Amino acid sequence: MMRSPFRSSIAQIGLAAAIALGTAASAQEAPSEFNIGVFTFTSGPAAAYGMPGRQGAELMIDMINEGGGIGGVPVRATYVDEAQGAEGVISEYRRLASDLDTQVMIAALSSSNCLALAPVADQIGMPTISWNCDTHQLFLEEELQYTFRPNGNTIPEFAAFAAYLMEVNPDAQRIAIINPDYAFGHDAGEIVKATLSAINPDVEIVAELYPSLGASSFQTEISRLSAARPDAIFSNLWGADLENFIRQAQPRGLFNQSQMILALGETVLESLGLPDGVIVGVLGDGWWNTPTARANELTVAFTEAYQDRYGEYPVFPTMKMANALLFMQQAVEDAIAEADGDWPSREQIAAAMEGRTFESLTGTVVLREDNDAVVDQVVGVSMQDEDLGFTGIGNMVRYPGEALMPPIGEDPIAWLGTLDAEWLDSLPKPGSYQ
Amino acid sequence: MLNAIVPLVVDGLANAALIFFVAVGLTLVFSVLRILNVAHGSFYSIGAYVAATIGLWLVSSGLNPWLSFPALLLAAALVAALMGPLIERTLIHWTYGKGEAVQILVTFGLFLILEDLQRIVFGVRSIYADTPMALLGVSEIGGIIYLNYQLLLIGLAVVVLIGLRLFIRHTRYGKLISAVVEDREVSEALGINTRRIFMLAFTLGVFLAALGGALATPTTGVAPGLGAETMVLAFAVAAIAGLGQVEGAAVAAVIVGIARVLAIYYFPALDAVAPYLVMLAVLVIWPYGLFGSTSTRRI
Repeated sequence: MMRSPFRSSIAQIGLAAAIALGTAASAQEAPSEFNIGVFTFTSGPAAAYGMPGRQGAELMIDMINEGGGIGGVPVRATYVDEAQGAEGVISEYRRLASDLDTQVMIAALSSSNCLALAPVADQIGMPTISWNCDTHQLFLEEELQYTFRPNGNTIPEFAAFAAYLMEVNPDAQRIAIINPDYAFGHDAGEIVKATLSAINPDVEIVAELYPSLGASSFQTEISRLSAARPDAIFSNLWGADLENFIRQAQPRGLFNQSQMILALGETVLESLGLPDGVIVGVLGDGWWNTPTARANELTVAFTEAYQDRYGEYPVFPTMKMANALLFMQQAVEDAIAEADGDWPSREQIAAAMEGRTFESLTGTVVLREDNDAVVDQVVGVSMQDEDLGFTGIGNMVRYPGEALMPPIGEDPIAWLGTLDAEWLDSLPKPGSYQ
Repeated sequence: MLNAIVPLVVDGLANAALIFFVAVGLTLVFSVLRILNVAHGSFYSIGAYVAATIGLWLVSSGLNPWLSFPALLLAAALVAALMGPLIERTLIHWTYGKGEAVQILVTFGLFLILEDLQRIVFGVRSIYADTPMALLGVSEIGGIIYLNYQLLLIGLAVVVLIGLRLFIRHTRYGKLISAVVEDREVSEALGINTRRIFMLAFTLGVFLAALGGALATPTTGVAPGLGAETMVLAFAVAAIAGLGQVEGAAVAAVIVGIARVLAIYYFPALDAVAPYLVMLAVLVIWPYGLFGSTSTRRI
């Protein structure tokens, strides 16, 4: 007897429904592992920045698991290399999300990948923590439900450097910029220009260069910067680009000729070293050796364990990653408590992330209603540190995050234009953070 | 006025020098083997990795740091001797006489394999070996400090150009290469071992690319992706010159070098595209490049 195709279809639908119901039911029971996706660069020039992030994730996850996991469930991470480009990253994100046991994504390092993933996160309903990407565009247009950024954004990060420069060198008027040729670099250029000209209308941009991301040689750019004779040179080059730039610019006298501002300079303090007096920062408050960090037992334990395991001190991408995982841990634990001990769904985890105030390894972070965080900004100058045995950061200031954050809904660049010398006077002074 | 022009010329020539090494190897291989080798840039990066590895070993061994100069040449020679004949015999020779699509697919596959091999062998982090740069110091030209090593590179590019010319014109193997380029079938009929000439030309091309990479290491970090970046520029230079033109490659490298410098100085937004705008302009007017033609192929 032939089997009816209609009956076969009914059976298949019934089976699918039973599986779906079973899955929905089991979503409230604690899984054997709490799966997360961790997106960072592990190859290519950006790996110089992405690998410390991955190492930070490995260590922090081990520390969480040694402490009993989250709600008694061990965390298991699947790492995805962002060097494959946005299309590959989205595809990996969707693949990981198709496993219902994967409940949080720590994604991503690159701003362009975060911008690409944010709508996907909302579409799937996947809680996604932007562990590093800091473009202010992320929350500008869309109201995102499932993307959270406990790490701050480009507006306070780069406005802080402009403020610091105007404090330590108020006569600096001829400014040059050399940033990578993509959104992160161009955004930073706009922010620095807007802030500087708001504080001092006499500021003149004498050179503005945007070499390709991953460029191996900056020799011509260095000649151009030398020829422009700027008082200060701002740069947010990072990863191997930053290392190449420093190695090529230093012997050619650029660091002696102009006040150098390396926004991501902290990442090379131990590995490469810097001459004294370079303005450096950590795009937030994430230096492992700030007074706040040293006073936190967990931070000290994390730093020592990191040094033991990897033979080097953490850099700020490491701290950003560790902070993102701490944020996740605290949110999931609260979500479990909120669900009376049941294992929370992705939606419940996202709800627990909304509007959180949490103690990171390096300070207090407050998430606003747009899911972006208010984070303090630490800036200082490179300074030989005999205790460390390599270059440290001195003459530090910790700018309060709220002083540098534009209100929700306001055009950030227009807001920077409203700043003035009075605003600068209201900020804490270089050297005040000791 | 002089102060404005001198940096443009020095930067342009320094830029041109490194591109020239890769472009001339690419064009040499094309003129003899009639293959557009997409994997050519990988030999540049492998040359850079080997040179950096030897350079770091010399420093850590406490040997005379001036040995790092011959080490750059040694690195290129090692890469060429080990990889040139091996790859030509095992892979490239299967593509002779095949369509361009097959040749490009095979060499692109080779490029992907070599890129992954570099990641496996050398890792993903940048490697730096800048001893030669540090040893030579700096000079001030037109109010701008330059590395003496940059000036040395310009001189070396001229030496290589002249050396290549002398090799092709005045040595037995050079003349055999010229004969094969002129007419492969007649050369075979005259008893020339074209198989050996192909291998020699390919190995010479690998050597030139690896030399470019090795010479770049003292001023740049070596990281995955270096080969692809250089390769695209080398293609632009070869296209501007006309594929198969050795002296043309030198002229085109200078044009591209100067174009890039002018862009950085006066139109920074066009920095990345300047070489390709020049290429586009040249190919619109001279579809076979500045020195190329449909009927004659010479090196």
